Amino acid sequence: MRADVIPVSILTGFLGSGKTTILGHLLRQPEFSRTAVIINEFGEVGLDHELVETSEDSFIELKTGCLCCKIRTDLAYTVQDMLQRRDEGNCSPFNRIVIETSGLADPAPILQTLMTDTSIAERLVLGGVVTTVDTVTGVSTLQREDISQKQVAVADRIVLTKLDLGGPAQPVLLRRLTELNAGAPVLSADRGKIDSQSLFRAGLYDPHVRSLDVNSWLAESRHSHARHDADVQTYTIVRKEPIGAITLTLFLETLAEHCGADLLRLKGIVNIAESPDRPAVIHGVQHVFHAPAWLKGWPSDNRNSRIVFITRRVPQRWVEALFEVIDAEVADASVGR
Amino acid sequence: MSEVAVDRACELLVQSLVAWRVAGDVRRSRDGAIVICGALEEIRIDFAPSDPMFRWMVTIGRRQRRAMSLVGVLRQVREALDPGYAANRVRVVLTPLVPY
Repeated sequence: MRADVIPVSILTGFLGSGKTTILGHLLRQPEFSRTAVIINEFGEVGLDHELVETSEDSFIELKTGCLCCKIRTDLAYTVQDMLQRRDEGNCSPFNRIVIETSGLADPAPILQTLMTDTSIAERLVLGGVVTTVDTVTGVSTLQREDISQKQVAVADRIVLTKLDLGGPAQPVLLRRLTELNAGAPVLSADRGKIDSQSLFRAGLYDPHVRSLDVNSWLAESRHSHARHDADVQTYTIVRKEPIGAITLTLFLETLAEHCGADLLRLKGIVNIAESPDRPAVIHGVQHVFHAPAWLKGWPSDNRNSRIVFITRRVPQRWVEALFEVIDAEVADASVGR
Repeated sequence: MSEVAVDRACELLVQSLVAWRVAGDVRRSRDGAIVICGALEEIRIDFAPSDPMFRWMVTIGRRQRRAMSLVGVLRQVREALDPGYAANRVRVVLTPLVPY
Protein backbone atom coordinates (compact mmCIF):
# COMPACT_ATOMS: atom_id res chain seq x y z
CA MET A 1 0.00 0.00 0.00
CA ARG A 2 1.27 3.46 -0.90
CA ALA A 3 2.30 5.69 1.99
CA ASP A 4 0.17 8.61 0.75
CA VAL A 5 -2.99 6.61 0.28
CA ILE A 6 -6.06 8.62 1.20
CA PRO A 7 -9.01 7.11 3.06
CA VAL A 8 -12.35 7.95 1.56
CA SER A 9 -15.43 7.53 3.72
CA ILE A 10 -19.01 7.51 2.60
CA LEU A 11 -21.72 9.17 4.66
CA THR A 12 -25.08 7.97 3.50
CA GLY A 13 -28.63 7.70 4.81
CA PHE A 14 -32.14 8.37 3.61
CA LEU A 15 -33.51 11.84 2.94
CA GLY A 16 -33.64 13.95 6.06
CA SER A 17 -31.88 11.46 8.26
CA GLY A 18 -29.29 13.93 9.52
CA LYS A 19 -26.24 13.40 7.34
CA THR A 20 -25.45 17.07 6.82
CA THR A 21 -25.88 17.86 10.53
CA ILE A 22 -23.35 15.19 11.43
CA LEU A 23 -20.99 16.30 8.70
CA GLY A 24 -21.17 19.88 9.95
CA HIS A 25 -20.23 18.74 13.43
CA LEU A 26 -17.40 16.54 12.21
CA LEU A 27 -15.80 19.24 10.12
CA ARG A 28 -15.49 21.45 13.14
CA GLN A 29 -13.34 18.86 14.91
CA PRO A 30 -9.58 19.40 14.76
CA GLU A 31 -8.86 15.93 13.44
CA PHE A 32 -11.13 16.59 10.48
CA SER A 33 -9.46 19.88 9.61
CA ARG A 34 -7.79 18.48 6.50
CA THR A 35 -10.81 16.86 4.99
CA ALA A 36 -12.04 17.21 1.45
CA VAL A 37 -15.79 16.81 1.20
CA ILE A 38 -17.94 15.89 -1.75
CA ILE A 39 -21.57 16.67 -1.18
CA ASN A 40 -24.03 15.12 -3.56
CA GLU A 41 -27.51 16.52 -3.71
CA PHE A 42 -30.32 15.25 -5.79
CA GLY A 43 -31.96 18.53 -6.67
CA GLU A 44 -31.00 20.90 -9.44
CA VAL A 45 -29.72 23.45 -6.95
CA GLY A 46 -27.54 22.33 -4.11
CA LEU A 47 -28.28 23.56 -0.64
CA ASP A 48 -26.54 21.26 1.81
CA HIS A 49 -23.13 22.79 1.25
CA GLU A 50 -24.51 26.10 2.49
CA LEU A 51 -25.32 24.38 5.75
CA VAL A 52 -21.85 23.05 6.38
CA GLU A 53 -19.20 25.28 7.88
CA THR A 54 -15.68 24.09 7.45
CA SER A 55 -12.27 25.16 8.58
CA GLU A 56 -10.03 26.86 6.07
CA ASP A 57 -8.13 23.63 5.56
CA SER A 58 -11.18 21.74 4.40
CA PHE A 59 -12.91 22.25 1.14
CA ILE A 60 -16.12 21.18 -0.44
CA GLU A 61 -17.03 20.03 -3.89
CA LEU A 62 -20.68 20.09 -4.73
CA LYS A 63 -22.28 17.76 -7.21
CA THR A 64 -25.92 17.85 -8.08
CA GLY A 65 -27.70 14.92 -9.62
CA CYS A 66 -27.34 11.48 -8.19
CA LEU A 67 -23.83 10.07 -7.85
CA CYS A 68 -25.02 6.51 -7.98
CA CYS A 69 -26.57 6.74 -11.41
CA LYS A 70 -26.56 9.73 -13.75
CA ILE A 71 -23.24 11.23 -12.82
CA ARG A 72 -21.46 8.18 -11.55
CA THR A 73 -18.48 8.76 -13.78
CA ASP A 74 -18.50 12.32 -12.56
CA LEU A 75 -17.49 11.04 -9.16
CA ALA A 76 -14.29 9.59 -10.57
CA TYR A 77 -13.55 12.84 -12.43
CA THR A 78 -14.23 14.88 -9.32
CA VAL A 79 -11.97 12.80 -7.12
CA GLN A 80 -9.28 12.70 -9.78
CA ASP A 81 -9.41 16.47 -10.10
CA MET A 82 -9.23 16.92 -6.35
CA LEU A 83 -6.20 14.65 -6.13
CA GLN A 84 -4.49 16.50 -8.94
CA ARG A 85 -5.09 19.86 -7.30
CA ARG A 86 -3.74 18.45 -4.07
CA ASP A 87 -0.62 17.12 -5.80
CA GLU A 88 -0.02 20.47 -7.50
CA GLY A 89 -0.51 22.42 -4.29
CA ASN A 90 -3.59 24.19 -5.60
CA CYS A 91 -5.77 23.28 -2.66
CA SER A 92 -5.45 22.34 0.96
CA PRO A 93 -3.33 19.23 1.45
CA PHE A 94 -6.24 17.12 2.59
CA ASN A 95 -5.60 13.71 4.10
CA ARG A 96 -9.14 12.38 4.04
CA ILE A 97 -12.14 12.49 1.73
CA VAL A 98 -15.74 12.27 2.89
CA ILE A 99 -18.52 11.77 0.37
CA GLU A 100 -21.98 12.70 1.56
CA THR A 101 -24.37 10.95 -0.77
CA SER A 102 -27.81 12.14 -1.66
CA GLY A 103 -30.57 10.64 0.43
CA LEU A 104 -31.78 8.62 -2.55
CA ALA A 105 -28.40 7.25 -3.53
CA ASP A 106 -27.55 3.60 -3.71
CA PRO A 107 -24.11 3.41 -2.08
CA ALA A 108 -23.08 0.25 -3.92
CA PRO A 109 -22.24 1.85 -7.31
CA ILE A 110 -20.35 4.59 -5.51
CA LEU A 111 -18.28 1.96 -3.73
CA GLN A 112 -17.73 0.24 -7.07
CA THR A 113 -16.46 3.43 -8.66
CA LEU A 114 -14.05 4.10 -5.84
CA MET A 115 -12.76 0.55 -5.99
CA THR A 116 -12.43 0.10 -9.71
CA ASP A 117 -11.82 3.37 -11.52
CA THR A 118 -8.21 3.09 -12.51
CA SER A 119 -7.65 6.83 -12.38
CA ILE A 120 -8.33 7.00 -8.65
CA ALA A 121 -8.47 3.53 -7.12
CA GLU A 122 -4.78 3.20 -6.43
CA ARG A 123 -4.71 6.49 -4.57
CA LEU A 124 -7.64 5.68 -2.32
CA VAL A 125 -8.64 3.18 0.29
CA LEU A 126 -12.15 2.72 1.55
CA GLY A 127 -12.37 4.36 4.95
CA GLY A 128 -15.77 3.01 5.81
CA VAL A 129 -19.44 3.48 5.11
CA VAL A 130 -21.48 5.36 7.72
CA THR A 131 -25.26 5.30 7.46
CA THR A 132 -27.59 7.61 9.37
CA VAL A 133 -31.02 6.41 10.47
CA ASP A 134 -33.67 8.76 11.77
CA THR A 135 -35.24 7.34 14.96
CA VAL A 136 -38.47 9.23 14.36
CA THR A 137 -39.28 7.87 10.91
CA GLY A 138 -36.70 5.14 10.56
CA VAL A 139 -39.05 2.18 10.96
CA SER A 140 -41.48 3.34 8.31
CA THR A 141 -38.72 4.46 5.98
CA LEU A 142 -37.03 1.07 6.17
CA GLN A 143 -40.36 -0.60 5.55
CA ARG A 144 -41.24 1.58 2.58
CA GLU A 145 -37.98 2.46 0.87
CA ASP A 146 -35.79 -0.31 -0.56
CA ILE A 147 -32.91 2.08 -0.98
CA SER A 148 -32.85 2.84 2.75
CA GLN A 149 -32.51 -0.88 3.44
CA LYS A 150 -29.56 -1.05 1.11
CA GLN A 151 -27.97 1.98 2.74
CA VAL A 152 -28.16 0.22 6.10
CA ALA A 153 -27.07 -3.13 4.72
CA VAL A 154 -23.73 -1.91 3.37
CA ALA A 155 -22.83 0.20 6.42
CA ASP A 156 -19.77 -0.27 8.55
CA ARG A 157 -21.33 1.99 11.19
CA ILE A 158 -24.98 2.94 11.72
CA VAL A 159 -25.76 6.23 13.43
CA LEU A 160 -29.12 6.87 15.05
CA THR A 161 -30.20 10.49 14.76
CA LYS A 162 -32.97 12.73 16.08
CA LEU A 163 -33.10 11.02 19.44
CA ASP A 164 -33.91 14.44 20.89
CA LEU A 165 -37.17 14.33 18.93
CA GLY A 166 -38.07 10.67 19.03
CA GLY A 167 -36.54 9.59 22.32
CA PRO A 168 -34.62 6.34 22.63
CA ALA A 169 -34.70 4.13 19.57
CA GLN A 170 -37.66 1.77 19.54
CA PRO A 171 -36.86 -1.93 19.93
CA VAL A 172 -38.57 -2.58 16.59
CA LEU A 173 -36.12 -0.23 14.87
CA LEU A 174 -33.12 -1.83 16.54
CA ARG A 175 -34.36 -5.28 15.60
CA ARG A 176 -34.79 -4.23 11.99
CA LEU A 177 -31.29 -2.78 11.87
CA THR A 178 -29.90 -6.03 13.30
CA GLU A 179 -31.78 -8.02 10.68
CA LEU A 180 -30.37 -5.88 7.91
CA ASN A 181 -26.83 -5.59 9.18
CA ALA A 182 -25.88 -7.34 12.37
CA GLY A 183 -22.19 -6.65 11.93
CA ALA A 184 -22.30 -2.87 12.04
CA PRO A 185 -22.13 -1.23 15.47
CA VAL A 186 -25.03 1.15 16.13
CA LEU A 187 -24.01 4.56 17.47
CA SER A 188 -26.06 7.57 18.51
CA ALA A 189 -25.64 11.20 17.57
CA ASP A 190 -26.78 14.00 19.86
CA ARG A 191 -27.97 16.81 17.57
CA GLY A 192 -25.23 15.86 15.15
CA LYS A 193 -22.55 15.47 17.78
CA ILE A 194 -20.80 12.13 17.77
CA ASP A 195 -17.40 10.76 18.62
CA SER A 196 -15.58 11.07 15.33
CA GLN A 197 -13.09 8.37 16.29
CA SER A 198 -15.73 5.73 16.73
CA LEU A 199 -17.44 6.87 13.58
CA PHE A 200 -14.71 6.85 11.00
CA ARG A 201 -12.37 4.24 12.38
CA ALA A 202 -14.67 1.82 10.68
CA GLY A 203 -12.99 1.22 7.39
CA LEU A 204 -10.32 -1.15 6.28
CA TYR A 205 -7.66 1.53 6.59
CA ASP A 206 -6.91 3.06 9.96
CA PRO A 207 -5.47 6.53 9.32
CA HIS A 208 -4.13 6.80 12.85
CA VAL A 209 -1.80 3.86 12.57
CA ARG A 210 -1.65 4.06 8.77
CA SER A 211 -2.33 0.39 8.37
CA LEU A 212 -5.10 -2.01 7.53
CA ASP A 213 -7.40 -2.52 10.51
CA VAL A 214 -9.15 -5.68 9.44
CA ASN A 215 -10.86 -6.61 12.67
CA SER A 216 -12.61 -3.29 12.98
CA TRP A 217 -13.54 -3.25 9.31
CA LEU A 218 -14.83 -6.77 9.22
CA ALA A 219 -16.91 -6.45 12.39
CA GLU A 220 -18.48 -9.75 11.45
CA SER A 221 -21.55 -11.05 13.12
CA ARG A 222 -21.06 -14.25 15.06
CA HIS A 223 -24.34 -15.60 13.90
CA SER A 224 -26.32 -15.40 10.77
CA HIS A 225 -29.06 -12.82 10.88
CA ALA A 226 -31.23 -13.88 8.03
CA ARG A 227 -34.98 -13.70 8.12
CA HIS A 228 -36.91 -15.87 5.71
CA ASP A 229 -39.09 -12.99 4.63
CA ALA A 230 -36.30 -10.45 4.58
CA ASP A 231 -34.83 -9.20 1.35
CA VAL A 232 -31.49 -8.22 2.78
CA GLN A 233 -29.54 -10.82 4.69
CA THR A 234 -26.20 -10.75 6.47
CA TYR A 235 -24.14 -13.77 7.35
CA THR A 236 -20.56 -14.85 7.80
CA ILE A 237 -18.86 -17.88 6.33
CA VAL A 238 -16.01 -19.18 8.48
CA ARG A 239 -13.43 -21.73 7.35
CA LYS A 240 -10.78 -23.15 9.63
CA GLU A 241 -8.76 -24.82 6.89
CA PRO A 242 -6.71 -22.63 4.55
CA ILE A 243 -8.37 -21.96 1.20
CA GLY A 244 -6.55 -22.56 -2.06
CA ALA A 245 -6.20 -19.52 -4.31
CA ILE A 246 -7.88 -21.38 -7.17
CA THR A 247 -10.81 -22.37 -4.96
CA LEU A 248 -11.29 -18.80 -3.83
CA THR A 249 -11.11 -17.45 -7.36
CA LEU A 250 -13.65 -19.96 -8.69
CA PHE A 251 -15.90 -19.32 -5.71
CA LEU A 252 -15.91 -15.54 -6.16
CA GLU A 253 -16.33 -15.83 -9.91
CA THR A 254 -19.33 -18.12 -9.56
CA LEU A 255 -20.89 -15.90 -6.92
CA ALA A 256 -20.52 -12.90 -9.20
CA GLU A 257 -21.83 -14.77 -12.22
CA HIS A 258 -24.95 -16.14 -10.59
CA CYS A 259 -25.82 -13.64 -7.89
CA GLY A 260 -23.75 -10.56 -8.63
CA ALA A 261 -26.61 -8.09 -8.63
CA ASP A 262 -27.82 -9.46 -5.31
CA LEU A 263 -24.41 -9.45 -3.71
CA LEU A 264 -24.66 -6.07 -2.05
CA ARG A 265 -21.35 -6.32 -0.31
CA LEU A 266 -18.77 -8.94 0.54
CA LYS A 267 -15.76 -8.41 2.72
CA GLY A 268 -13.40 -10.84 4.31
CA ILE A 269 -10.03 -11.96 5.49
CA VAL A 270 -8.87 -15.20 3.93
CA ASN A 271 -6.20 -17.67 4.91
CA ILE A 272 -4.82 -18.55 1.49
CA ALA A 273 -3.12 -21.94 1.47
CA GLU A 274 -0.30 -20.63 -0.72
CA SER A 275 0.30 -17.69 1.61
CA PRO A 276 -0.19 -18.91 5.18
CA ASP A 277 1.56 -15.99 6.87
CA ARG A 278 0.06 -13.19 4.81
CA PRO A 279 -3.73 -13.26 4.73
CA ALA A 280 -5.66 -11.75 1.86
CA VAL A 281 -8.29 -9.11 2.45
CA ILE A 282 -11.06 -9.31 -0.13
CA HIS A 283 -13.77 -6.80 -0.88
CA GLY A 284 -16.54 -6.95 -3.43
CA VAL A 285 -19.63 -5.00 -4.37
CA GLN A 286 -22.11 -6.72 -6.68
CA HIS A 287 -20.19 -8.00 -9.73
CA VAL A 288 -17.00 -6.20 -8.89
CA PHE A 289 -14.21 -7.47 -6.70
CA HIS A 290 -11.31 -5.38 -5.64
CA ALA A 291 -7.83 -6.82 -6.04
CA PRO A 292 -6.99 -8.39 -2.69
CA ALA A 293 -4.86 -6.54 -0.19
CA TRP A 294 -2.17 -8.72 1.33
CA LEU A 295 -1.57 -8.07 4.99
CA LYS A 296 1.95 -8.28 6.39
CA GLY A 297 0.73 -10.67 9.03
CA TRP A 298 -2.33 -11.87 10.87
CA PRO A 299 -3.98 -9.14 12.92
CA SER A 300 -4.80 -11.56 15.74
CA ASP A 301 -4.43 -15.20 16.75
CA ASN A 302 -7.58 -16.02 14.83
CA ARG A 303 -6.40 -17.50 11.53
CA ASN A 304 -9.77 -18.65 10.32
CA SER A 305 -10.98 -17.32 7.01
CA ARG A 306 -13.99 -15.10 7.62
CA ILE A 307 -16.12 -13.74 4.80
CA VAL A 308 -19.04 -11.48 5.56
CA PHE A 309 -21.91 -11.49 3.06
CA ILE A 310 -24.57 -8.83 2.75
CA THR A 311 -27.00 -10.04 0.13
CA ARG A 312 -30.44 -9.60 -1.25
CA ARG A 313 -32.12 -13.01 -1.00
CA VAL A 314 -29.03 -15.12 -1.60
CA PRO A 315 -29.42 -18.11 0.73
CA GLN A 316 -26.54 -18.75 3.09
CA ARG A 317 -26.86 -22.47 2.45
CA TRP A 318 -26.31 -21.92 -1.28
CA VAL A 319 -23.13 -19.99 -0.59
CA GLU A 320 -21.90 -22.72 1.75
CA ALA A 321 -22.82 -25.53 -0.64
CA LEU A 322 -21.11 -23.74 -3.51
CA PHE A 323 -17.92 -23.35 -1.54
CA GLU A 324 -17.94 -26.98 -0.40
CA VAL A 325 -18.43 -28.26 -3.95
CA ILE A 326 -15.71 -26.11 -5.46
CA ASP A 327 -13.29 -26.91 -2.67
CA ALA A 328 -13.90 -30.65 -3.08
CA GLU A 329 -13.58 -30.58 -6.87
CA VAL A 330 -10.36 -28.58 -6.77
CA ALA A 331 -8.98 -31.03 -4.21
CA ASP A 332 -10.00 -33.97 -6.41
CA ALA A 333 -8.43 -32.41 -9.49
CA SER A 334 -5.18 -31.80 -7.67
CA VAL A 335 -4.81 -35.52 -6.97
CA GLY A 336 -6.03 -36.57 -10.42
CA ARG A 337 -9.42 -37.95 -9.42
CA MET B 1 -17.47 -40.61 -7.60
CA SER B 2 -18.42 -41.05 -3.99
CA GLU B 3 -21.96 -40.86 -2.74
CA VAL B 4 -20.86 -37.94 -0.60
CA ALA B 5 -19.82 -36.01 -3.69
CA VAL B 6 -23.10 -36.68 -5.50
CA ASP B 7 -25.09 -35.75 -2.40
CA ARG B 8 -23.08 -32.56 -2.20
CA ALA B 9 -23.86 -31.81 -5.85
CA CYS B 10 -27.56 -32.48 -5.20
CA GLU B 11 -27.59 -30.11 -2.27
CA LEU B 12 -25.91 -27.41 -4.36
CA LEU B 13 -28.49 -27.80 -7.12
CA VAL B 14 -31.40 -27.67 -4.66
CA GLN B 15 -30.01 -24.50 -3.12
CA SER B 16 -29.24 -23.06 -6.54
CA LEU B 17 -32.89 -23.21 -7.55
CA VAL B 18 -33.73 -21.32 -4.36
CA ALA B 19 -31.03 -18.73 -5.01
CA TRP B 20 -32.15 -18.21 -8.60
CA ARG B 21 -35.83 -18.18 -7.60
CA VAL B 22 -36.53 -20.86 -10.17
CA ALA B 23 -39.19 -23.52 -9.64
CA GLY B 24 -38.03 -27.11 -9.88
CA ASP B 25 -37.44 -30.38 -8.16
CA VAL B 26 -34.09 -32.14 -7.70
CA ARG B 27 -33.93 -35.89 -7.09
CA ARG B 28 -31.70 -38.90 -7.55
CA SER B 29 -32.69 -41.50 -10.16
CA ARG B 30 -32.37 -45.21 -9.53
CA ASP B 31 -29.22 -45.39 -11.62
CA GLY B 32 -27.56 -42.68 -9.54
CA ALA B 33 -27.98 -39.72 -11.84
CA ILE B 34 -29.26 -36.37 -10.63
CA VAL B 35 -32.52 -35.32 -12.26
CA ILE B 36 -33.93 -31.83 -12.20
CA CYS B 37 -37.55 -31.36 -13.21
CA GLY B 38 -38.04 -27.72 -14.00
CA ALA B 39 -41.01 -25.91 -15.46
CA LEU B 40 -39.29 -25.65 -18.85
CA GLU B 41 -37.00 -28.65 -19.03
CA GLU B 42 -36.01 -31.93 -17.48
CA ILE B 43 -32.30 -32.15 -16.94
CA ARG B 44 -30.23 -35.23 -16.22
CA ILE B 45 -26.77 -34.96 -14.74
CA ASP B 46 -24.45 -37.96 -14.77
CA PHE B 47 -20.97 -38.39 -13.49
CA ALA B 48 -18.63 -39.17 -16.38
CA PRO B 49 -16.01 -41.44 -14.82
CA SER B 50 -14.40 -42.57 -18.05
CA ASP B 51 -13.55 -39.09 -19.23
CA PRO B 52 -10.32 -37.75 -17.76
CA MET B 53 -11.14 -34.18 -18.75
CA PHE B 54 -14.84 -33.78 -18.12
CA ARG B 55 -16.33 -34.97 -14.85
CA TRP B 56 -20.01 -34.45 -15.69
CA MET B 57 -22.46 -35.10 -18.50
CA VAL B 58 -25.50 -32.86 -18.69
CA THR B 59 -28.47 -34.01 -20.77
CA ILE B 60 -31.13 -31.45 -21.61
CA GLY B 61 -33.78 -32.85 -23.96
CA ARG B 62 -31.81 -34.68 -26.64
CA ARG B 63 -28.73 -32.60 -26.24
CA GLN B 64 -25.76 -33.81 -24.25
CA ARG B 65 -22.97 -31.52 -23.12
CA ARG B 66 -20.01 -32.24 -20.92
CA ALA B 67 -18.82 -30.11 -18.06
CA MET B 68 -15.44 -30.01 -16.40
CA SER B 69 -16.84 -29.11 -13.01
CA LEU B 70 -20.04 -28.40 -11.14
CA VAL B 71 -19.48 -24.73 -11.85
CA GLY B 72 -19.94 -25.61 -15.53
CA VAL B 73 -22.96 -27.76 -14.69
CA LEU B 74 -24.52 -24.84 -12.83
CA ARG B 75 -24.15 -22.61 -15.86
CA GLN B 76 -25.86 -25.13 -18.16
CA VAL B 77 -28.68 -25.75 -15.70
CA ARG B 78 -29.26 -22.05 -15.19
CA GLU B 79 -29.34 -21.37 -18.92
CA ALA B 80 -31.92 -24.13 -19.37
CA LEU B 81 -34.22 -23.27 -16.51
CA ASP B 82 -34.01 -19.51 -16.21
CA PRO B 83 -34.88 -17.75 -19.47
CA GLY B 84 -34.16 -14.38 -17.91
CA TYR B 85 -30.62 -15.33 -17.11
CA ALA B 86 -28.02 -13.52 -19.09
CA ALA B 87 -24.77 -15.17 -18.20
CA ASN B 88 -22.50 -12.63 -16.68
CA ARG B 89 -19.12 -13.98 -17.61
CA VAL B 90 -17.31 -12.01 -15.00
CA ARG B 91 -13.68 -12.88 -14.66
CA VAL B 92 -12.51 -12.53 -11.10
CA VAL B 93 -8.81 -13.09 -10.87
CA LEU B 94 -6.95 -12.69 -7.65
CA THR B 95 -3.84 -11.20 -9.12
CA PRO B 96 -1.35 -11.91 -7.85
CA LEU B 97 -2.47 -15.24 -6.51
CA VAL B 98 0.13 -14.99 -3.81
CA PRO B 99 1.65 -11.80 -2.38
CA TYR B 100 4.77 -10.49 -3.96
